[in-house]
Amino acid sequence: MKWHPFELHTHTPHSDGTHTLLEMCKQAKELGLSGIALTDHNTVSGLIDSDEVTKETGVAIIPGMEWTTFYGHMLTLGAPYCEWRDLGPADIGKGIERVHQKGGIVGIAHPYSMGSPICTGCHWEYEITDWNQIDYIEVWHETMPSLRNHNAQAFRLWTDLLNQGFRIAATAGRDWHRSDNDKNLAAYTYLGIEDSEPLSALSVVDAISRGRLCISMGPLLLFKILSDQRAYGIGEVIGRTGEERKRALTINVSLQQANIPERQWIATEAHSVIIESNQGELCRGPLSGEDFQFSETIEADNLLWVRARLYGLQEGLLATLAFTNPIYLESH
Amino acid sequence: MHELLAVEGKLYPSSSKTHITYQFHIPTPLPSLQIDFQYAPKKSEDKSGSRRLIEQSIEQYVHPSMQAAYMDKWEQYMPLQNLLTISVDDPSEFRGSAHRHPEKQSYLLATSSASPGFIPGAILEGIWRITISVHCVVTPDCNYLLRVTEGEQHL
Ligand SMILES: [Zn+2]
Ligand SMILES: [Zn+2]
Repeated sequence: MKWHPFELHTHTPHSDGTHTLLEMCKQAKELGLSGIALTDHNTVSGLIDSDEVTKETGVAIIPGMEWTTFYGHMLTLGAPYCEWRDLGPADIGKGIERVHQKGGIVGIAHPYSMGSPICTGCHWEYEITDWNQIDYIEVWHETMPSLRNHNAQAFRLWTDLLNQGFRIAATAGRDWHRSDNDKNLAAYTYLGIEDSEPLSALSVVDAISRGRLCISMGPLLLFKILSDQRAYGIGEVIGRTGEERKRALTINVSLQQANIPERQWIATEAHSVIIESNQGELCRGPLSGEDFQFSETIEADNLLWVRARLYGLQEGLLATLAFTNPIYLESH
Repeated sequence: MHELLAVEGKLYPSSSKTHITYQFHIPTPLPSLQIDFQYAPKKSEDKSGSRRLIEQSIEQYVHPSMQAAYMDKWEQYMPLQNLLTISVDDPSEFRGSAHRHPEKQSYLLATSSASPGFIPGAILEGIWRITISVHCVVTPDCNYLLRVTEGEQHL
């Protein structure tokens, strides 16, 4: 498995962005990104340049769109244009079905942003009858995401849904409209893709569908759970029988530096790893050693999910620096 | 320059979150299609009315524990603006949209190229549709003009 940093929420002049696809991908390259998803508002016309831009910059471009509707903004990935203009506030399930039938996935963009008339349709107001239809939620939006109010609410929504037993992925999205020299950093969405797989709409959709994601301001935070001689990675499901449920689990966390120098400061600051779950915090501790490891054995019953969160200083401010998507548990 | 559609209309705050679709017939394939769209006013000049709308939004969209802090800074959301966007459907497919803020917009769709937001392709005979998506009207009224003509030149 190789983990590729992506930016999953971007715009160009094909909607209201000011940088061309080429300008954006050149900057993406400098930021160390392997790929971006082009998610212009309500159109897919910007993809016309994507082959050429990928050839020139080496940055993979995944087709997407941001449904920019009256009742919410919804990101789609891996699907062509799907119709949204005939949908009312109770019809989003019908709309999501259209995207799924075309092989795409959907994510709620910035669910707690200000709504109309301040930002038209930006606050999620669609009625969701089946959360299983939602593939991901953009819980970190814009630059410096862990410091923004509306993201705290989105992160809580995601955690509440995980607690209810839904398996929904979490992503970050810069909502990138211009390539300026913004000193504020955006997060990476690292996607776990098999070594043999190319970076494509198919492999990106697969990674998100399987919950293989780590969201980070820089370093790649990975964790594994060892259960009965087997190691389970992010997104995997540990199935246990009633007896096995009582056995202790070993958690191994590791941190890898980002591949660009500007982001490496993060791993040198004071920080700790917090292991959290539907039962709350399970344990915490510092990362140690040259390769930043943390290991702990936990005994907990009734676990539905476990994730790792890296907490520490980001340019002097205490904040969440990275978090993984969960490893899930179920009992047969 | 042959005119295919020319319409104007008046919108009100209650027109927010509606779509207006015009359909028109293209009798023979064309080299290109020119679309001109404008609306006015763009910005609300009504400071006290805007403040009321902003305060309502804060109550509706911000977590209760944070509302007071947002209320103090209500002016950061000024001026409130109208937002109308257009999208185009040819006789069989979606041909793109222009989700952006300027209140005066002109677009050309042609076989091998198109303005940003739109998808190049043949301008076939048949029923075409242009949809005005009224995302938001915050002024007492808002007038729009939409004109579609046979394009003068290839892009
Ligand atoms: Zn949005
Ligand atoms: Zn966006």
